[in-house]
Amino acid sequence: MQPTDGTGDAPQPREVVSLNRRLLLMAGLVLLAFLGMTGAILDHAFRQSLEQAQKDRLQGTLYTILAAADLSARGLRLPDTLPESRLGTPGAGLYALILDKNGETWRSPSLLGVPWAPTEQLAPGDTEFGRSVVGGLPLYALAYGLSWEDARGNESTFTVHVAEDAATYQAQLSAFRRSLWGWLGAAAAVLLAAQLLVLRWSLLPLRRVAADLKAIEEGRAELLEGRYPAEIAGLTHGLNTLLKSERRRARRYQETLANLAHSLKTPLAVLRGALDRMPSVPPEALEQISRIDAAVDYQLKRAAASAPETLAAPLTVRPVLERLLRTFAKAYSDKPLRTDVRCAGEPVFYGSEGDLMELLGNLLDNAHKWGRQHVRVTLATLPAGPAGRRGLALHVEDDGPGVKPEQAQAVLRRGGRADEQVPGHGIGLAVVAELVHAFRGRLAIERSELGGARFRIELPGG
Amino acid sequence: MRLLVVEDEPLLREQLAQRLRAAGYAVDTAVDGEEGLYFGREYPIDLAVIDLGLPKLPGLDLIQRLRADDRHFPILILTARGRWQDKVQGLEAGADDYLVKPFEMEELLARVAALLRRAAGFAQPVLRFGPISLDTRSQQVSLDGRALELTAYEYRLLEYLMFHPGEVVSKTTLTEHLYQEDQDRDSNTIEVFIGRLRKKLDPDNALQPIETLRGRGYRFTLAAS
Repeated sequence: MQPTDGTGDAPQPREVVSLNRRLLLMAGLVLLAFLGMTGAILDHAFRQSLEQAQKDRLQGTLYTILAAADLSARGLRLPDTLPESRLGTPGAGLYALILDKNGETWRSPSLLGVPWAPTEQLAPGDTEFGRSVVGGLPLYALAYGLSWEDARGNESTFTVHVAEDAATYQAQLSAFRRSLWGWLGAAAAVLLAAQLLVLRWSLLPLRRVAADLKAIEEGRAELLEGRYPAEIAGLTHGLNTLLKSERRRARRYQETLANLAHSLKTPLAVLRGALDRMPSVPPEALEQISRIDAAVDYQLKRAAASAPETLAAPLTVRPVLERLLRTFAKAYSDKPLRTDVRCAGEPVFYGSEGDLMELLGNLLDNAHKWGRQHVRVTLATLPAGPAGRRGLALHVEDDGPGVKPEQAQAVLRRGGRADEQVPGHGIGLAVVAELVHAFRGRLAIERSELGGARFRIELPGG
Repeated sequence: MRLLVVEDEPLLREQLAQRLRAAGYAVDTAVDGEEGLYFGREYPIDLAVIDLGLPKLPGLDLIQRLRADDRHFPILILTARGRWQDKVQGLEAGADDYLVKPFEMEELLARVAALLRRAAGFAQPVLRFGPISLDTRSQQVSLDGRALELTAYEYRLLEYLMFHPGEVVSKTTLTEHLYQEDQDRDSNTIEVFIGRLRKKLDPDNALQPIETLRGRGYRFTLAAS
């Protein structure tokens, strides 16, 4: 979503993170934390159970060895055929070793070439389980202390050490981890995708509001017409009410101005008509009527010149210009001027048709009044402002006598005094200057290459 | 020329009617749009002056309905506000020119004269038929460059004939376009005026610009030059 900025010339506000991005980011983080913790706990639990299983297995081996062992005069001995075949095969990964009080008394053939020589003696009944590394080989080892009474009643103490290569453990753990994280990853992906869908669906009404607002801006709709969920219905309803009351207000304003004009101008017309019929009229009387007329005209047009509208559809300038030119062709049919229009691209105006017609109409009227044979209108587009609204350049020139610099100054000096208007130019140009000001534009009066005056208007983009 | 004035303000309506009658036009007045529509449809109107802010039927609608009814006489609109949007809409609806209130009567008369002349197909303000010329701006007729003294009625009569050169114009048509409803409609008056015009335009009886076709009417015989 774009940051909106009503004033246009205020500094650009900091980029606001979109709702979509916020929700997605937070949902993603929570999901990752949750799945990460779940994975860590499961991993830990599985490792513990694996170690327990390892210990149980070593315990079993130990009991098997003890069951097969024989106590002789030379100490504790085991038969050549061992109950656990892996103990007899070198490198099979299962090892055993028996210590008596003098040191090692038996070691399994599988220990051939393995530099494992634990020397720890345990008190009878004690066990010790742990992990160690022997010759770069990780092992799980179990030690068990016991006392053995021979037939003569002599008691000797032994410590039995059994160990198993940790490779099995490692392989099992790796396999578990692979599948654990694989599944967790897949779950995360599915959940994120679901999150994305939920998000799109929940934000759909907001997107629809944005689209509907755009439709209003472009003049394709009058109001927000869709049905909206309860959470934003208040907002859209308020917006609709605002739009309606704004339109009603604007219409009432225009109607009031029209009525005011009618009820002021008609008596003036009557007064002038009455004076016309009198045999001798004091010149001040007619002059005062003209002054009242000009003041009423100017102030009414000034009041009607609305500022650029926020929710205005871009108005294509060319068709409006062509309508005016047809009007002029009809009204000035006794003075056929050649009017050429130079137009690059499709310039647009962000404002009411009435304002554009006042701008163009007054300038064209002036050009038709003063031009001899030739009037030229040039339209061009100016670069867009931060809200993406393009500006408009508008030139009207003629081959008439031109405007004297001091007259130009008087036209450009805007003000409320209609009786200071430039003689011969009426109030039309004052209205143009007023409108250009309302649209924060620039008006320049120059000499045209056609020989007469050139009125150059530039309305900036917004 | 028969004009229709549609204006709701009684004083202004009367002023307009008086001024136009003084200039030799036959004038019908209507107080609102509906009455204006009735006159425009039923009477042989040559030009209408219509105020845009009318009760019952707004000026714009009145113009549109008249044009839709194939009434092609020129229309001059009066507008109080003088907004370009109103002028453009008025001319698009079918009007031919506009005046912003308050206006000078002279300006109104000049616009009316120009519109009538253009409607008759004359592009220039001065009509020349051989030695006779008629200036629609100053309402002045001259013969071989000498100004002639014509009354307003005589001027309108000559103007009507010159606007229809070579056409047979019946007495009834002349009466309809030159006389008020309430005036004496005796056709002999027309004959009297034609007689006076002939005397002033053709004192030597050599030019014979106005031909009488017995039982049918009159014809202006000269060709535009």
